[in-house]
Amino acid sequence: MDEPHLKRELGLIRTTMLGIGGTLSAANFVIIGEAAGMAGYAIVPIVVICGLLSLLTMFSYAELGTAIPLAGGEYTFSKVAYGGFTSFLTGWFEWLSNMFYTALSAIGFAYVVSYLFPQINIPLTAVIVVIVFAIINLRGTKETATAETIITIIVLVILAIFVIGGWSYVQGTPSEPSASPIGILGIFAATAYLFELYLGAEAVAAAQAEVKNPGRNIPLAIVLSAVVLIALYTSVVVVAVGIVPPDVLSEQSSPIAFVAEQALGPAGAILITIGLAIAGLAATNEAILAQSRVLYAMSRDGYMPKGLCKIHKCYCTPHVAIIVGAIFTVIFAATGLVNFVVYAVNLGFIIGFSLVNLSLIKLRKIAPHLKRPFKAPLYPLTPIAGIAASIFLALFIEPSVLILGFELVIVALLIYYIRMVGHHRIRVAFGGISLGLGSFLGFVTYLLGTNSIVLHGVSQEVATLVFYVLLSISIIQVLAGILNLIASDR
Amino acid sequence: MNARRTLSKIVGLTQTAIGGLTMVFAFFLFYNLFNIQAVLGFSAEAIGLYLWAFIIFGLLSVISGLFLFYEQ
Repeated sequence: MDEPHLKRELGLIRTTMLGIGGTLSAANFVIIGEAAGMAGYAIVPIVVICGLLSLLTMFSYAELGTAIPLAGGEYTFSKVAYGGFTSFLTGWFEWLSNMFYTALSAIGFAYVVSYLFPQINIPLTAVIVVIVFAIINLRGTKETATAETIITIIVLVILAIFVIGGWSYVQGTPSEPSASPIGILGIFAATAYLFELYLGAEAVAAAQAEVKNPGRNIPLAIVLSAVVLIALYTSVVVVAVGIVPPDVLSEQSSPIAFVAEQALGPAGAILITIGLAIAGLAATNEAILAQSRVLYAMSRDGYMPKGLCKIHKCYCTPHVAIIVGAIFTVIFAATGLVNFVVYAVNLGFIIGFSLVNLSLIKLRKIAPHLKRPFKAPLYPLTPIAGIAASIFLALFIEPSVLILGFELVIVALLIYYIRMVGHHRIRVAFGGISLGLGSFLGFVTYLLGTNSIVLHGVSQEVATLVFYVLLSISIIQVLAGILNLIASDR
Repeated sequence: MNARRTLSKIVGLTQTAIGGLTMVFAFFLFYNLFNIQAVLGFSAEAIGLYLWAFIIFGLLSVISGLFLFYEQ
């Protein structure tokens, strides 16, 4: 009996809409204000530059997507090119980034809607959005893509009304169009910050196993969605800074709605709020699709538990992967930690983009005869430029985010070795760690008991309590260490 | 054998609970809930270090405890 499999049922238009819809997150139109504060009127060329930098990597996505038409996106590419821990790490960051992106889009939707309905509970609204779109994704890609297409068309029409309606209110050209209030570093920082605008277009590659005639449709959809997005974001930013000065724009919680209100009155603000809210829904929908396909592919290859790659018999969707991803996403959305989520999204995608370009270069070397219906133009300049752009952007990420990235690499390493190296050896290693921690705590407890260490500014009662707590913990840690070390290898 | 398995389950559960509580404690410490920084005499400058140490300790304890608890 054949196993259920993913259906190829997405044409060019739906695939392109998938790329555009995944990118048009409500949060993107909020961060434009902050970037305007960093870069001033230079935000306009920065939006174009970010689009072009993103397009460099999109060419790599297009080539790899058509040469390796399997579900999983970046993860699948690096698995074919490198395998082992590199591919696991790619998939790990791709999965996490898409989950964080889902949460961010849902939270962004909630914030935008709160402009019209200030009484709503933001975390609760975000959680409900994630659950509803997880259910839509469970029912099948066709329903997902149809919803995506309708939503994206509505958003594009509303943004077109904003651009056309606002154009006549643009105040002419500024005297210093390329000046940034905080200098050249401000321009670089804004470039790194605004790169997030174009994240999501690569979701076309993640759903490639469900695209009809992938050799033609995937590269066309990727390039078409990139061109439409560059034109759209540039027009929106030109109108925004043309009507409201960048320094004023940066002070608004919903900058585009504020601009619409100045140019078109309250009706314009309501219309753009509705458009951005719908955009938030589209991005949530798309990110759920992308993260579930990555988890499905990692499970299929044995990096994650096998149950995660089950395909639903009626709907032909990876239902377990969708549900597991949705559970984590609901937790992230419910915390409301927007900054943490934004940082994680940016870092994960920058790492992912670098690995995609590296995979392209590696595959051109080790598999020169691989059938490639589309080839990245100007090879090797385009992937090298893509890698350079990613490294450059990473330099402007906040140090705290880089530390977070390092911690996520450690967690990935741990999971990979637990899955790959063997349960018993890992258990023995943890036994040794517990024994070491227990012995260290025991030594500290001894020093406290003999007054060799004195807790300053702490009452005698608290010091006694700390002594007994540490003693108990050290005994448990030593016991646990011994029990793990002497465990039999079964 | 059964006695050892029971001991493993008890110690594993306790170690997991210690790990979980340590991470919750780290959260309390970071946000200074119940004025815990002053009560325990922790300086505000070193909170980042304490946070990092408690989270690592908590994670290691939880994983080690789960190994014991789910011992076959």
